[in-house]
Amino acid sequence: MSFLLTTLTKKREVDSIIRDTIDKVLVLRFGRASDAVCLQLDDILGKSARGVSKFATIALVDIDSEDVQVYVKYFDITLIPSTVFFFNAHHMKMDSGTADHTKWIGAFHRKQDFIDVVEAIFRGAMKGKLIVCCPLPPERIPKFQLLFKDV
Amino acid sequence: MEGLQQQQQQSKRNPMPNNEKMTKKNKKNNKTNKFEFCKVCNLNHDQGRRHIYFPNHIKSLSSYLSRFHKKLSDVRFFLKNPSLLRPEHAPRNRLWCVFCDSDIEELDSLFACGNAITHFASAEHLKNLNYFLWKYGGGMDRVDSFRISDEDVSKWEKKCESLKSFASSSSEGSYGPSLGPWKDIQNKHCCENTDSNEKNKVKSFKFSFSNSVLPLQCSTKERYQVSHPETNEIASAGLFSYNATSLPLSTEDNMHNWGMHLNKSTSMDLTASTCDPVYSGNQHSLVENSWKCSVDWSLSSEGVDRMGNGKSSNHESKGNVHTGAPPPWFEKNEENELNFQVDIGSNTNSLASSSSKSRMSGKLNPKRVGAAWAEKRKIEIEMEKRGEIVSSSCDTDWLPNFGRVWQSGTRKESRKEFEMEKHKLLKVECLSEGTIKLQPYISKRMRKDTGQFEGPADCS
Repeated sequence: MSFLLTTLTKKREVDSIIRDTIDKVLVLRFGRASDAVCLQLDDILGKSARGVSKFATIALVDIDSEDVQVYVKYFDITLIPSTVFFFNAHHMKMDSGTADHTKWIGAFHRKQDFIDVVEAIFRGAMKGKLIVCCPLPPERIPKFQLLFKDV
Repeated sequence: MEGLQQQQQQSKRNPMPNNEKMTKKNKKNNKTNKFEFCKVCNLNHDQGRRHIYFPNHIKSLSSYLSRFHKKLSDVRFFLKNPSLLRPEHAPRNRLWCVFCDSDIEELDSLFACGNAITHFASAEHLKNLNYFLWKYGGGMDRVDSFRISDEDVSKWEKKCESLKSFASSSSEGSYGPSLGPWKDIQNKHCCENTDSNEKNKVKSFKFSFSNSVLPLQCSTKERYQVSHPETNEIASAGLFSYNATSLPLSTEDNMHNWGMHLNKSTSMDLTASTCDPVYSGNQHSLVENSWKCSVDWSLSSEGVDRMGNGKSSNHESKGNVHTGAPPPWFEKNEENELNFQVDIGSNTNSLASSSSKSRMSGKLNPKRVGAAWAEKRKIEIEMEKRGEIVSSSCDTDWLPNFGRVWQSGTRKESRKEFEMEKHKLLKVECLSEGTIKLQPYISKRMRKDTGQFEGPADCS
C-alpha cells in the first residue's frame, strides 16, 4: 500500500476530488488494501504518482466503506482493482480490447504501461475525445471475464 | 478445358494481387514523392493536393489573405477618393500582388494607386487569382473581394478626370492646399486638404484614422523613432519653431515595412493636418495631449535615437535621465513592497501556481473534454478563495458524468437510470416492511426489475 496516495472513504471526498481536479486526468482506483492484485497496482501507482503529477492525479478509493457503495454501484464495479479515469469531471473511456471500456480492470505489467495509458487518456481528453484507444499491446492487458448482469 | 479457362479468367481478374498492391503503393508514393512549394505556408511539401486541407495551411492561408486584403483596402480607399500622385512619392508606392507574383509600380501614373487599380481590374489578374484560389484552396467565392470591378474603375476614372481638369484649370493657389503640407516643412501651415494626408498615411503606414492611431505630428530630428501612438499626439502650433527636416513614423513596425525614406513626405502631412484643432474629432484629444507634452519634446528631441513607448513622454514631464530624476520603478517599488509583505505569507504558493497555471491555460485547447465545466469550476474556486461564495458543498446526490457498462444511451441517461434504480431499491426496502400478502408479489417484481438494471453485486 502506498502511503503517498490519498485514500478516500467517503462519497463527499470522492465528489470533491472529482470536481476539484481541473485539466488533469484523475485516476481513481477502486479496491481493497488487502488484495494482492490491488497491492501490485498500488505499488505501480505510487511509484509513478510523482512522474505524472503534472497531468494526472491519483487517488485510491476503498470499496469496503459504506459511503462509497453508491459509486461502486454507479460505476458497475464488480472486479477489483478497478481504475476509473476522469477529466474535468467527465468520465473517460478507454478501448483496450476488453469487454468493459468504462474502466481499467486489474493491475499493470509495468510502470511504463500505466504512464502510457494515462498519457493516452490525457491526449485524447485534450483533443476533446471521450473515448480513447489503449496504447498497450494485447499481451500486456489483463484479461478478465465480464459476467452479464445476472448470470 | 473449361476449368483451365476459368482459372485463366480468374488469374486475369486478379493477376498477382501482391504486385498490384505494390504498384498501387508505388503509385501513391510516386504521387506524394513530388515536392511542391506552398508559398502560403512557405514550405516544401510532398503531400500533393492534400496539403491545402491541412489545418496549418488553412491558418496560414487566412493570415496571408487577410494581410493582402489590408493592402487592397488601402487601394480601395484611393479608388473612392482619387488624388494626385506626386512624382517624388511615386517610387515609394509599390505593391506586390501575391496572386500574380509581380510588383506594381506607380512610376508613371498620375494618380495614387493608379497602376494598382488598373491591375486589380485586369483580366490577367483575375486569371491568376482563380489559379491561386484553386491551387491554395482559398474558396472560389472570394474572387470578387480580391479584385476591383470594372464599374468601380470607370467611376474612379471619371473622378480622376474631373480632378485633372480642376487641377489644370486652377491656379497655383488652389494647388496650395493639396501641395502645401508637402512644401511647408518649416512653416507647418494648417492643411485644408485633409484627404490627401489621410490617404498618404493610409497608403504608407498601413493604418487609418479609423483605428484612432495617429502618427507623430511633432517635428523632430530625422530618424527619430517613436513607437507609441500616444506620444505621437504631440502637435501644436507652438512647436513649429523647430528646424527638423522630417518626422518619425508612429510605429516601429511601419518603419520597418516602408522604410525610413517615407518620413519626409508623410511627416509633413501629419503635422499640417493635426495642427488644425478644428480639423477632426479624432484629434481633439490629441491636441490636449499635445500641449502637455510639447514642452518636453523641446527638451528631449536632440541626440536621442529612440524613444521607448508612450509612457516615456509622461516621464519627461516629471523628470528624466537628463534631469536626474529617479526612475519610475523606484517610486512604485515602495508600494509593491508593502503589498508583498502583506501577501507573502499566504499567497506565495498561489502566485507560483497561478503563474504556472496561467502559462498552461494560455495554450489549453478550448475543445478539450469538459472545458466549459473546468472554466466554470475555476471561477467558482477563485470566488471561494476570495470568500464571496460559501463553498457550496455539492449535494449528496451529485454524481459525475459516467457512461455505464451495460447502458446503450447517452451518458445523461446513465445517471437517470441509476437514480431510478436507487428509487426502486428504496421502494423495495419500504415495501418489504408491508403486509405479508403483498410482499412476495412485490419482491418478485422488484427482483426482476433490479436484476435488469443492476450489475452483479459480487465484489469479493
